[in-house]
Amino acid sequence: MSGGAAAPAAVAAAGVPLVDFLAVAAALFCIGLFTALRRSNAIMILMGIELMLNAVNVNLVAFSRYLPQNGDRGQAFAAFVLAVAAAEAAVGLALAIIVSRRRGGIDVEGIDLMKG
Amino acid sequence: MNWPMVAFLFLAAMVLVSAWRVATTPSITHATLFLATTFAGVAGLFFLLQADFLAAVQLLIYAGAVMAVVIFAVMLSDMRDIEPVRGRGLAAQVASSQFGWLPLAGATVLFVLFMLVYVHAAPGWPKTPVAAAPDSTSYIAGALFGSYALPFEVASVLLLAAMIGAIILTRQEGGRRS
Repeated sequence: MSGGAAAPAAVAAAGVPLVDFLAVAAALFCIGLFTALRRSNAIMILMGIELMLNAVNVNLVAFSRYLPQNGDRGQAFAAFVLAVAAAEAAVGLALAIIVSRRRGGIDVEGIDLMKG
Repeated sequence: MNWPMVAFLFLAAMVLVSAWRVATTPSITHATLFLATTFAGVAGLFFLLQADFLAAVQLLIYAGAVMAVVIFAVMLSDMRDIEPVRGRGLAAQVASSQFGWLPLAGATVLFVLFMLVYVHAAPGWPKTPVAAAPDSTSYIAGALFGSYALPFEVASVLLLAAMIGAIILTRQEGGRRS
């Protein structure tokens, strides 16, 4: 993608202002939040959280490309977000499977065993 | 209109439409597939932003590994838990008693959207991106293994703990039998 040192202006996203990427990321975050709040299925809630984390990653990468302070350090941070999201998905889906096996359902409105 | 804008609009539409389908489709299998499409679109946005390494990792980990885990969870959990089709469209779902709290979720989301717009509406965001260094992947490697070596190790320990925890959680109960 990078055109090499001879063409410093050859950026793939040239012509797209930063605020467009921010708008897409904000909309994606809100859709993910809506999914997580609206669904009662535990797997769907996890999907909403994954959408929100993706929106955050879009923001991080866009800022690292448009406002570079220290090279591509924002992309390194996005890689950490990705690792944490993978761990969260693994544990969350394992919990969904075990709750489904024990209680016969993963509707979070039915999981109120520890409710006072 | 220049071609980066066209590509950006295509990818943005792909991401937002499939994410909206994740939020609204009544079938969990369809939601899983639309989630994969969303991840692919985000990878395309990363390519557009010259984040080659992250785009490849996004495709490998999100569209590959995480999606495989989600599909396994959907198949292994009780399929009766799929939200049944209750009328088409949001209006019918708002009317049904099951989604009586849907206005609350919508209000919360609109509030967050308003806050994000308020924060992002500041003038003076740059219009043009800065060209990536031709060796941006090696820069990320240097950052991960150099100045961020300790967080990198912590992340690896986190992934190891998540792996062990997932195995222990989903182990068959009474596994000593065989």
